[in-house]
Amino acid sequence: GGGCGGSDLPLRFPYGRPEFLGLSQDEVECSADHIARPILILKETRRLPWATGYAEVINAGKSTHNEDQASCEVLTVKKKAGAITSTPNRNSTKRRSSLPNGEGLQLKENAESEGVSCHYWSLFDGHAGSGAAVVASRLLQHHITEQLQDIVEILKNSAVLPPTCLGEEPETTPANSRTLTRAASLRSGVGAPGSPSTPPTRFFTEKKIPHECLVIGALESAFKEMDLQIERERSSYNISGGCTALIVVCLLGKLYVANAGDSRAIIIRNGEIIPMSSEFTPETERQRLQYLAFMQPHLLGNEFTHLEFPRRVQRKELGKKMLYRDFNMTGWAYKTIEDDDLKFPLIYGEGKKARVMATIGVTRGLGDHDLKVHDSNIYIKPFLSSAPEVRVYDLSKYEHGADDVLILATDGLWDVLSNEEVAEAITQFLPNCDPDDPHRYTLAAQDLVMRARGVLKDRGWRISNDRLGSGDDISVYVIPLIHGNKLS
Amino acid sequence: MTYAYLFKYIIIGDTGVGKSCLLLQFTDKRFQPVHDLTIGVEFGARMVNIDGKQIKLQIWDTAGQESFRSITRSYYRGAAGALLVYDITRRETFNHLTSWLEDARQHSSSNMVIMLIGNKSDLESRRDVKREEGEAFAREHGLIFMETSAKTACNVEEAFINTAKEIYRKIQQGLFDVHNEANGIKIGPQQCISTSVGPSASQRSSSEIGSNSGCC
Repeated sequence: GGGCGGSDLPLRFPYGRPEFLGLSQDEVECSADHIARPILILKETRRLPWATGYAEVINAGKSTHNEDQASCEVLTVKKKAGAITSTPNRNSTKRRSSLPNGEGLQLKENAESEGVSCHYWSLFDGHAGSGAAVVASRLLQHHITEQLQDIVEILKNSAVLPPTCLGEEPETTPANSRTLTRAASLRSGVGAPGSPSTPPTRFFTEKKIPHECLVIGALESAFKEMDLQIERERSSYNISGGCTALIVVCLLGKLYVANAGDSRAIIIRNGEIIPMSSEFTPETERQRLQYLAFMQPHLLGNEFTHLEFPRRVQRKELGKKMLYRDFNMTGWAYKTIEDDDLKFPLIYGEGKKARVMATIGVTRGLGDHDLKVHDSNIYIKPFLSSAPEVRVYDLSKYEHGADDVLILATDGLWDVLSNEEVAEAITQFLPNCDPDDPHRYTLAAQDLVMRARGVLKDRGWRISNDRLGSGDDISVYVIPLIHGNKLS
Repeated sequence: MTYAYLFKYIIIGDTGVGKSCLLLQFTDKRFQPVHDLTIGVEFGARMVNIDGKQIKLQIWDTAGQESFRSITRSYYRGAAGALLVYDITRRETFNHLTSWLEDARQHSSSNMVIMLIGNKSDLESRRDVKREEGEAFAREHGLIFMETSAKTACNVEEAFINTAKEIYRKIQQGLFDVHNEANGIKIGPQQCISTSVGPSASQRSSSEIGSNSGCC
């Protein structure tokens, strides 16, 4: 840890705690106490959008700094001046009025100058330094805004599906037959192609891309752009290590949860758990990693085998038949052990201890461009992916109560508490708080961090039932969903 | 701003006795009559001068409410000094001292210096706990004692500084292992480049060593 290893280059951003905590340098110093491990919470004088609660605690000594980072803000997404518009032939009033939803277009024209506001929460868990996590916590939101700017007008026009090709008419068919053909297509291709009453075949083979898929695409692109920026800027700045990224965007009534790494998001609604992310680890991504190594064996530097065995293969076992699995398998089979099988496995270790090339335990995230296998010239980065998995939650489909929340937390929480334990804690805690208390979600976050950190006893940090508490950095958001329903 | 030592303090006591106000008066020299309830832990820092040595005080201000007691307990560890505060106008806050003291003794290092503070000495007309009672409690339990007013700033400096003096005295007597951070004492970085200390702390390298101002 530490994040100041050996580089003479300046930091891109100074180390600190999340900006929304508003801590002075002295407070940051106090917070880095590995002995008492103070739980930091949002100050009484500060508010986050939606009355979001937040709490965090530093690790028990594994790194000088708290390598988790977070940011939360309201972004305004406005069409970029001079951007290509979705409406073709904007100067032709004749054509515009001939479109079926001319009225909607009028509305749209008026609203066009206004931006769409977009709520943003982010959580990053850094490793091998705090640089990448700090940079991502400051900059990822700008990449998201930039990606959304290009499509904001299309998104606002929810009555019309996104055009397949910008600057073109959505369909080549005459305008007045459009509604009809769309209806026909919704009945999944009634009418044989080529019959006189049906439109050209091309219409039927064109995929219909819903609006939310454009948002998903924008988030995926933003993650990639962020990773590329870190890669570019590391020649002029010291951006140490890498980080996982878990972000939530609320846009036009829907929550988009994008996750790259091993943090986790769950919704607790009426006591029920709805997972909103899945973790990306050497175990969950085994087949992708093995396939990449199989296709590009040079990435293994002649040091590793992409095959998995239940245990390390010993030289004396050459020629014997042993259980193994390849990229194409979820089950196991026997193969004859050869020389190549004696190499260290690409993925080794179980559970939290599983590592890619004996080096890293997460397989998606940002940064890590310089990470190599210890004492070698083998880069890890080709095996890491910056691509997030994005899940969508439609807020308008449910009437949420004050105790329905979205929890985002780094693995420090989830390593020691199950989804069920977190849900139980929340459903015990929130109903006992005044529903009008602006701090109730921060207190709930503090309660979760306390349950995961535990208290220091003679034999280390302990939580309920004398289980081991988390010695990792722990960061938790508790986001009330009731505010999502308050948006128009 | 370089310092010879850093001492970690913790402020404890019932809710509403003025813990946060004492801290604010000491670090910012101001009084805030209406203060939000502390719901977790808050921090303050200031430089003081003891015996010609620059000493940085790092102060943890805790939540007094019963519901936060288990969190507060976990912050005693690694504190060199504790300010145990009661309100001289509310007897129950004095009655609870025993339980606070038990917590403190159980969860801290045995050398922790505890300063007992009867706060709100400006409210003489509403006094509910006699000064002598505070003194007696302190004597009985081996604590230092002062009455203070976070409002008028009376004895606030002294309370923090006298605690530091006592810790410093114990260091010189060899009672504290200054190399063990669990004792709440850190030796200052040698020739520290002034990046680690914020301006609010460095501006005030106070020369004031607790004078016996008899304002209370």
